[in-house]
Amino acid sequence: MAAFEYRQAEEIRDAFSRHGVRYLFLGKSGAILLGFPDTTQDADLFVEKSPENGAAIVAALRDLGFDLAEAQAAQIERGKDFVQLKNGPFDLDLIFAPDGIEDFSLAWRRHVEVAGFPVCHIDDIIASKEATGRAKDRESLPRLKAFRDYWLEQQE
Amino acid sequence: MGETGAKSEIPQEWLEEFEAASKRDLRTRFRYAFIHTYKPVLDDEPFRAFDTTADYRRWCEENLPSWLGYGRV
Repeated sequence: MAAFEYRQAEEIRDAFSRHGVRYLFLGKSGAILLGFPDTTQDADLFVEKSPENGAAIVAALRDLGFDLAEAQAAQIERGKDFVQLKNGPFDLDLIFAPDGIEDFSLAWRRHVEVAGFPVCHIDDIIASKEATGRAKDRESLPRLKAFRDYWLEQQE
Repeated sequence: MGETGAKSEIPQEWLEEFEAASKRDLRTRFRYAFIHTYKPVLDDEPFRAFDTTADYRRWCEENLPSWLGYGRV
């Protein structure tokens, strides 16, 4: 598996748009879209939990080349809280219920668009990383919080 | 949403990195940002689904090598 490429992010954006998927880039991939200079391995998508959105996600993923068995598609359609996909052209995490963010509609209300990519607000990205309590997130938080201050000043 | 901090409070080295990144286009930032290394256990299954995010966190703690950093501190 090669590293995730910009072209693949565009493919997600376009396929999800065609199928009307409600989603947001979250985690470090979201921060990178906002301009955060750091490294990560794969894309995290915060997806709205609803039967319609679940069906749209499955259709979009199949368009993208993910090899989903019926049982796997059913789990996405039902909206399992966390789905890890490594059966397609790139790795993808679908997060229906991220730590630290109350619900999708609130995150959507304050999201940011970057080149047509819907991205969680930097404060939601930080809140979710703080809530995980993971070692790898704790290490990156001070720099991410400094980037937040920089980014907010750029928006003024 | 928290308060906006001042640029002067950001360590100089980080500020220089943020400013350099802001001058790169998105495509270039992507090229520098995404890497791929094999993650034992995590990368060994093509599909996993967890009923709750807490189940996923627990699974990571119980199954992944600690050096991957997925465990809670």
